[in-house]
Amino acid sequence: MQVVGDIFVIIGTVFILFGVIGLMKFKNFYTRILVTAKIDTVGVITVIIGIAIKHGLSFFSMKVLLLMGIVMIVNPLASHMIARSAYLSGYQTEGQDDKAKTTYNEEHV
Amino acid sequence: MHMIWVMLALLAVFIVRVVKGPSIWDRLLGLSVISTKVILIIVFFASYNQIAYLLDIAIVFVLLGFISIIFTALFLLQRIKAGGK
Repeated sequence: MQVVGDIFVIIGTVFILFGVIGLMKFKNFYTRILVTAKIDTVGVITVIIGIAIKHGLSFFSMKVLLLMGIVMIVNPLASHMIARSAYLSGYQTEGQDDKAKTTYNEEHV
Repeated sequence: MHMIWVMLALLAVFIVRVVKGPSIWDRLLGLSVISTKVILIIVFFASYNQIAYLLDIAIVFVLLGFISIIFTALFLLQRIKAGGK
């Protein structure tokens, strides 16, 4: 059981490494937030499943699974809110990259 | 135990992104990612030392991080909409 749990934890960490690469590679903000938020949530879920398996059927793994359920609901909501308010405030809406002059006056921020 | 060091290394990478991020939205995104990493560190620590009540702290931290991001984004939305005119 321990080995299976460790395998899941390692797979989750690999997912998170992909997220890091994605965060550095993408130039446009919206593609970056899409990749990061999604991979982040998936990485957390995989790692938490791995830890739950490592602890077998116990009070600890029940609490960890509860934490996983909460993270699954909360993380996408937060990312959606960030992307929504970024879009509504007109940041990079024409899909230009970070180097291009952003549409709204960035000095105020 | 070594997993916590891996997570701390990832944190450093995201802190670079938060500092480098061209706009405030990237910083908010970095905040959300860093809070997820901190949650993972807490869970690793709790599972390594077999302490169950640490997970309550992680749950509270998830909810607090979520609420802070939601209201920060809302606040920024009003501020930029008003400031942008």
